[in-house]
Amino acid sequence: MESIKIYLTLFTTSMKARMEYKASFLFYIFAILTFYAGQFGLLFILLNRFHEIKGWSVGEMVFLYSLQAFAFGFTNLIFSQLVNFDKMIVDGEFDRVLVRPLSPLGQVIFSKFEVSTAAHLIIGSTALYFGSRYGNIDWTFYKVVLFPVIITGGVLIAGGIRLMVTAVAFWTLRNRSLVHTVIFSSKEFINYPVNIYNVGMQFFLTFIFPIAFINFYPAHFFLDRSGTGLLHPLLEMGTPIVGLIVTTVSIFSWKAGVNHYQSTGS
Amino acid sequence: MQQGNIAIEVKGLSKDFDVSESGKGFSGKLKALFHRRRKIITAVDAIDFEINRGEFVGYVGENGAGKSTTIKMLTGILVPTSGSAEVNGIIPFKERKKNAAKIGVVFGQRTQLWWDLPVRESFDLLRVIFRVSQPDFNSQIKKLDKALGLDPLMNMPVRKLSLGQRMRCDIAASLIHNPPVLFLDEPTIGLDVLAKESIRNFLTEINRDEGTTIILTTHDMNDIEQLCKRLIILEEGKIMYDGETELLKQKFIHEKVIEVEFHDDGNVIQGIPGVTVVREQGCKTWLTFDNDNYGIGDVIGTIASRYEIKDISVNEPSVESIIRNIYNTRVTRATPSEESRNK
Repeated sequence: MESIKIYLTLFTTSMKARMEYKASFLFYIFAILTFYAGQFGLLFILLNRFHEIKGWSVGEMVFLYSLQAFAFGFTNLIFSQLVNFDKMIVDGEFDRVLVRPLSPLGQVIFSKFEVSTAAHLIIGSTALYFGSRYGNIDWTFYKVVLFPVIITGGVLIAGGIRLMVTAVAFWTLRNRSLVHTVIFSSKEFINYPVNIYNVGMQFFLTFIFPIAFINFYPAHFFLDRSGTGLLHPLLEMGTPIVGLIVTTVSIFSWKAGVNHYQSTGS
Repeated sequence: MQQGNIAIEVKGLSKDFDVSESGKGFSGKLKALFHRRRKIITAVDAIDFEINRGEFVGYVGENGAGKSTTIKMLTGILVPTSGSAEVNGIIPFKERKKNAAKIGVVFGQRTQLWWDLPVRESFDLLRVIFRVSQPDFNSQIKKLDKALGLDPLMNMPVRKLSLGQRMRCDIAASLIHNPPVLFLDEPTIGLDVLAKESIRNFLTEINRDEGTTIILTTHDMNDIEQLCKRLIILEEGKIMYDGETELLKQKFIHEKVIEVEFHDDGNVIQGIPGVTVVREQGCKTWLTFDNDNYGIGDVIGTIASRYEIKDISVNEPSVESIIRNIYNTRVTRATPSEESRNK
């Protein structure tokens, strides 16, 4: 409990430091608003342009999108600092993280929060509303209870992948382009139901880079759909387990990375 | 925690770096992308030493000798390739957090403070991170303020401080949790004489009054001569001297320089056993004499009885010139010009 208090102090201090540069802070807010306007645009296109893809109605796809928006929204909120992590390595700033009596990962995560990504959650909620309505979701007790569990699992998958990619910087130093590809571009794959891809791609998105578990598989449960694509009925509930596996592996790779850290000269 | 007398124990400690080389120019870099040439560089090579509580140790060597790498292994930043290290009875890289709570670290090149925040807020944050109680913090800050004159700086953002001011704050920051062991990696780099002086005085004080064990790396040999009783010299990752700073002179200086001034020029000194003339200029002559086999008293006595001299002085080479000589040639031969410059 005490460490949580310490982390929160760390976080509020970093916010204060950011607000020191008022103009930059305002530009930043503006950039964020522009970005989310774009995201709403995508949602609008989904609703208007397509009628059905591979047996998925527009409402169902909007629900699919909502699961993804929630998972990535929370992930961005919690792990936003990881995107710039390679800079900490290249500058040797990670040195000072290691000489403080707190977990290095905790310090990195809490050194910055994109509070603004909360807007992602507004998009998620909007999509959830329309998705439930047009996708004809019957919100039974179990579905209501399992919804947060699935989102948590999705956050563990998305966050775990992000952490794993971040840890690569311990070996390669600069890895920003990799981080951007994996974190930002990859999620475009699951804007649509993954059964639109060929079997190889579906396999990849299920077992190798398991982001299909963020929305595609659990969506079957909520939408009362029968299996499509590679779906085995068991995979429907796979999200939390896959999330735990990915997170565990990612924490190990992070720790291996910290032990491999070479610091900078002098 | 171990309460023994040993603060730091290092045995066979080594660190290799795996460096990939890239070729020259664009095509070389392109080739390197596909065809990595790897090279292992041993930055620290099986070193051993023990440091007792309350010691003030200078850790010196040329750039790339492995000073910072050692400090980084002792502070838990780097994992050693082989060998062992214990600081306060803790293995740094295995128990980073526990180790961090018991050491203070200052990197002269890089601040520990939050660049955009006033000094006071950085201190407050460090108080929370190091779990120091408010009363302990207040009394520690009071003490540090008295010694380092922090008060006028407390409300300034760190980025607006001068280098000397920032270094005072950085040193204070590293001591907020009153650690028994303090690592200083080039704390006087780039500072002016006065700033150096105030930091040296402070370090002497905490070493004497608090019994803080201090390990200092520096390129400034005045730091070493004024502060460090013990000196460890590193060369290409190996320890080439570990002992009292004073004894370094005895060990490496086999010749002393004598400066003789006559009333008029044209005097030639010759025929004194163990003495070699190095340079003559006007009324002055510089001699070296074999310190190991001849007594200084005899030599001066002989010169004084044979010649009419106006003045005579014996120059003790500075630690800096000794180390420079060790680096350069490994043959200690203090030249007169060097000596007069370093006086």
